[in-house]
Amino acid sequence: MKLPFQGKLALLLIALTLAALPADPARAEVRYKRSVEKYNIPDVLLINQDGKKVRIASLLNSGEPVIVDFIYGSCTTICPVLSAGFVNLQRRLGAQSQKVRLISITIDPEHDSPKILKDYLKRYRAQPGWDFLTGSRADIDAVMKAFNAYIPDKMSHYPINLIRDPRDGSWVRIFGLMSSREFLAEYQQVAPPSVSGLKP
Amino acid sequence: MSYYRLARFTLLPLGALLLVVLLWAGNGWSAAVLPSGLPQAELIRLGERMYRDGMLPSGAPMPAFIRGDVEVDSSAFSCSSCHLRAGLGSFEGGVVTPPTNGVKLYQPYRRPPSLDDIPDQTGRYIYAKTVLERPAYNRETLASAMRFGVDPAGQIFNDVMPRYPLSERDMSVLIDYLEALSSEPSPGATSKEFRFATIITDDVSPEDRQALLLPLQKFIDQKNQQLRMYQDFIKFGYSPTTEMKYAFRHASLDLWELKGAPESWPAQLAAYYHKKPVFAVLGGISNGDWRPIHDFCEEQRLPCLFPITDFPVVSETGWYSYYFNKGYFQEGEAVARYLNREESLPVEGEMLQIVEDSPQGKALAAGFQQSWGELERPALTTLTLSPRELADGKALSDVLTKYQPRLLLLWADAAVLPKLPALLGQLPGSAKVFLSSGYLGGKSATVPEGVRGKVYLSYPYRLTPFVGPKDGGFDAKVPILTTAKDFGDRRITSRSTTMLRQVALRGLNLLYDNLYREHLFDLMGMQMDLTVRDYERFSFGPGQRYVSKGCYIIQLGPGADPALLPRSEWVMH
Repeated sequence: MKLPFQGKLALLLIALTLAALPADPARAEVRYKRSVEKYNIPDVLLINQDGKKVRIASLLNSGEPVIVDFIYGSCTTICPVLSAGFVNLQRRLGAQSQKVRLISITIDPEHDSPKILKDYLKRYRAQPGWDFLTGSRADIDAVMKAFNAYIPDKMSHYPINLIRDPRDGSWVRIFGLMSSREFLAEYQQVAPPSVSGLKP
Repeated sequence: MSYYRLARFTLLPLGALLLVVLLWAGNGWSAAVLPSGLPQAELIRLGERMYRDGMLPSGAPMPAFIRGDVEVDSSAFSCSSCHLRAGLGSFEGGVVTPPTNGVKLYQPYRRPPSLDDIPDQTGRYIYAKTVLERPAYNRETLASAMRFGVDPAGQIFNDVMPRYPLSERDMSVLIDYLEALSSEPSPGATSKEFRFATIITDDVSPEDRQALLLPLQKFIDQKNQQLRMYQDFIKFGYSPTTEMKYAFRHASLDLWELKGAPESWPAQLAAYYHKKPVFAVLGGISNGDWRPIHDFCEEQRLPCLFPITDFPVVSETGWYSYYFNKGYFQEGEAVARYLNREESLPVEGEMLQIVEDSPQGKALAAGFQQSWGELERPALTTLTLSPRELADGKALSDVLTKYQPRLLLLWADAAVLPKLPALLGQLPGSAKVFLSSGYLGGKSATVPEGVRGKVYLSYPYRLTPFVGPKDGGFDAKVPILTTAKDFGDRRITSRSTTMLRQVALRGLNLLYDNLYREHLFDLMGMQMDLTVRDYERFSFGPGQRYVSKGCYIIQLGPGADPALLPRSEWVMH
């Protein structure tokens, strides 16, 4: 059997995925903490990756599911994992990726200019629908505090995803790191029926 | 053992077996594809690219998976992004990443126990646990670790560690690199000594030279005094803690004086360096372009920590020089960002940038133009005038008569200030002019009172009161307030003291016995933000090299000792 390298790689990926996944996802340990919360987010003005001013309220109350996380452009460890989660969710949703609004907010606003945000999204091959916001430290602190996710120094941050259910404005608060399958399943609980049908 | 763990342990060997079969069937292990034919330097280059940039030797991105099934692109998620350039690991965001250099990997590893080891499903660190101990790796077990996320004792890695399905050839290149990574201590450091140098160019005044050498010499003397106290401590039979064991070394400081034309500096630097290599350059001062020194340090991979310069090299890829900020360039940037936020800007033809033909004028204009371009604004009309043309005033007056700008950027020195009332009198009533307080220097406060309402200055230092942690001296508890008297003060002693005491010392002490220059940068990049005397804030981060990110736009109040009135925040986007 002589396989081209790409063929070998594809099979290799299948083998690794098989090896790494639990036999029965239903029995898999859930290694993140989940709760449903109500938040009152101040309507501050932030700046997106295109340098455009955006009101956070208009982004959050768009009538679609919204997912928020707090990351920064030069982060090691957690932010790349959170961002990989965002990009994989977009990939899994495919043509329907516009049916969720992904919002990353920087916790390093002094360094993270719109250009850095834009480069970051490009590096992750983000699709439209994923915005990365910067702004004044005071405004970003206010948003973090309202989400009960205040991070006084970026070097001591932690992984949080906040998923907004557009039906009642409640938020699913996920503390920890999800697999892309878990992420899709969490999203589907607040997604419109057409997206809920996708297999995790 | 839960079903989940059982399943993983059962499927893991199956996956490994399948991989072996696939690679064997595909002739993956034939000698023809092993990289042994490549020269060592090329192997290291390819390995470094895999480690740092997540690029395979073929140039394609390294495939990787995290958290079971999250596919990531290693160009955004390389080994060095967590284990850092030196491979000594990191601690950030509650995640501990262990060392990955061969020296450490091929020894058994045991990390100190931690309160975070207590199993707690709801605990904050549950997502970030690392194994407590493991046996030594060899090449085979290391390859398994990277492919399947399992250590030699069969322990499964934390989910944030990607699994890399690499071919045998690529894996071999990466392991070769890990074996070479941080394998020899950097020059200029031993278990007993740190050798440092500082750099002074011959355009620096005796006063400025003294202002730099004073804190540096004090720092070295204090290090050596502490060493003597530590030696007495040991002599009297006390046992040192781990931190103490590595915190005290003899320190020395060489003075590298550079004379003559900047083109001759690299040779002078090389002569100093080869005669007596140092671990790092602490501070330094020059009135001219720092680039020749920056380039030398990049070439030698020599840390250069916070020189006093208004002309640092502004680069996104420079690694070995840390700067306070981007100097004049940053002031130009701040003006661009300030104007970008204005609700109503004059139309394109009504904005004019006049640049004095000097290094300062050019650096200010470069900062403005780069930032203005990034903001996707059309280029301004820009005219360069010689210092003589600016001094006699006629040329400048002619230009303003011709262009009638409503917004003027005037990157000129203080000689232009007395002419401002006449010049602004030629312009429309709503005209505004922007100048650099750095370039105007001590005369910034002499902007004629009649035009202060139209004049805006970039100001890259702290404006809010600074309160130090201790009584007296540099750390005064009495709030220190910036006033107009601070214009033109280069703050050589205070900035150098901050650099030594609040930044460099912390990095050096955390090195322990890992005496690698790359590790020093890794450690300094992980520091928390600092509130310091001269700037509102220092912030760090992997690869960030300009620690003060802000610059105010201010106006002056009335009088000979005017109030400094901020018209912007410290940081603008």
